[in-house]
Amino acid sequence: MKKQALARTIKTGIQRTDLTENEVRQAIERAKHYPFVAYAVDAPYLELAKELFEGTEVLLTAPVSYPLGGMTLETRLDQIAFAIKVGADEINPALNFNAIKSGDFSTVLDEIKRMVEAAGDNLDVIVIPQLYILTNEEKLKVCHIILKGGVTAVKTNGHGSLCRPEDITLLRREFGNDLSIEASGGIRTTAQAAELLELGTNFIHTSTPYSVLEDAE
Amino acid sequence: MEARELDKNTLANMIDHTELHVDASYGDIRRLCLEATKYGFASLAIHPVNIPLAVKLLKGSTVKVDAAIGFPTGAFTIEGKVFETKDAIKKGAEEIDFVMNVGMFKAGNYGLVKDEMRAIKETAGDIVTKVILETCVLTDEEKIIACQIAKEAGIDFVKTSTGFGEKGATVADIKLMRQTVGGEMGVKASGGIRNTKDALAMIEAGATRLGTSAGIAIIEGLRE
Repeated sequence: MKKQALARTIKTGIQRTDLTENEVRQAIERAKHYPFVAYAVDAPYLELAKELFEGTEVLLTAPVSYPLGGMTLETRLDQIAFAIKVGADEINPALNFNAIKSGDFSTVLDEIKRMVEAAGDNLDVIVIPQLYILTNEEKLKVCHIILKGGVTAVKTNGHGSLCRPEDITLLRREFGNDLSIEASGGIRTTAQAAELLELGTNFIHTSTPYSVLEDAE
Repeated sequence: MEARELDKNTLANMIDHTELHVDASYGDIRRLCLEATKYGFASLAIHPVNIPLAVKLLKGSTVKVDAAIGFPTGAFTIEGKVFETKDAIKKGAEEIDFVMNVGMFKAGNYGLVKDEMRAIKETAGDIVTKVILETCVLTDEEKIIACQIAKEAGIDFVKTSTGFGEKGATVADIKLMRQTVGGEMGVKASGGIRNTKDALAMIEAGATRLGTSAGIAIIEGLRE
């Protein structure tokens, strides 16, 4: 696989508790030399990232209720309003995992609809169902709910998880091309990325894009 | 405090019974509410999304609903955290555990960090506020500065960890935090406190509150 082509499937970003503004600047200055699809930073650095990516085609991704999904709908909507205000292009809401694990899909659906409504035409919505904590039945159920709620894109996992190749296969088989898939969680090598792309993921999300690109031609 | 003199009730009343797992279900929250009421824990520490259920289940008990704010990264705007605090209190939260903006702190932006703490305390009013420093990413000097800022901002407790970092509370950190904030302010040890021995060591070192999901084992392990 060619480096440039692989980079065009990569969504990345820099998110860490103790991250300073200087580190964000340096990371973005480096990322700007690659044709990455999107870049995520936490709320305090969204405005800075917007400014630094000015003139590039890189989309700015704002996290919502990230990464644990434990924030209320009202807080999510507040974070979405902020994402619009700073000019982000897309949002990554972590869904209400506690509701999913409780089988409370009506709450999950309602929250998705409200977030989609809040995002309007301003933001693309790519939700995180956190597949690594779900049973196969829950994975399919929640993705049906996601589509029903008006969202057509998922990022498979949030921080600190591992993307399972069989999850990509499962979703692709069930949903065909109705669902855009961003594989996420522990993707560190070119071989891992190539396998997931082969299985049908649309995007690779990785916090270590340079190591993912390393073995590409 | 002389930890060996503690009885079960006193120890239970120092524990924030904690459920912040990403895969917790309503059933887990229900079970924790029952346990918290039975043992008389100080609070139930949960994600804001679970506040309404906990409020309903803990009604009439002495157990407070404790909301984790800006959790676990602390990487939110001041306005965002204030909004979340307000929303949590509106829904029934009776204590607020928020994560400091560690990134801004590491960059030396102490003014912003203090402004954020002040704004959250002002929003919380009489409600107890605990600021999570995430000590595992701070140097000892930074721990001291963060404690001083929290004290000046009127925060009620300094707290070590989210439990989602590389490391949780250590006895050395609790000693340092207690020494820095003096005798009046609360110090909460959290992260990695698994048994009675850990709990008593933290209390001996100066902790007045413990955040743990092992509360029952800690109480049951206490000698009569």
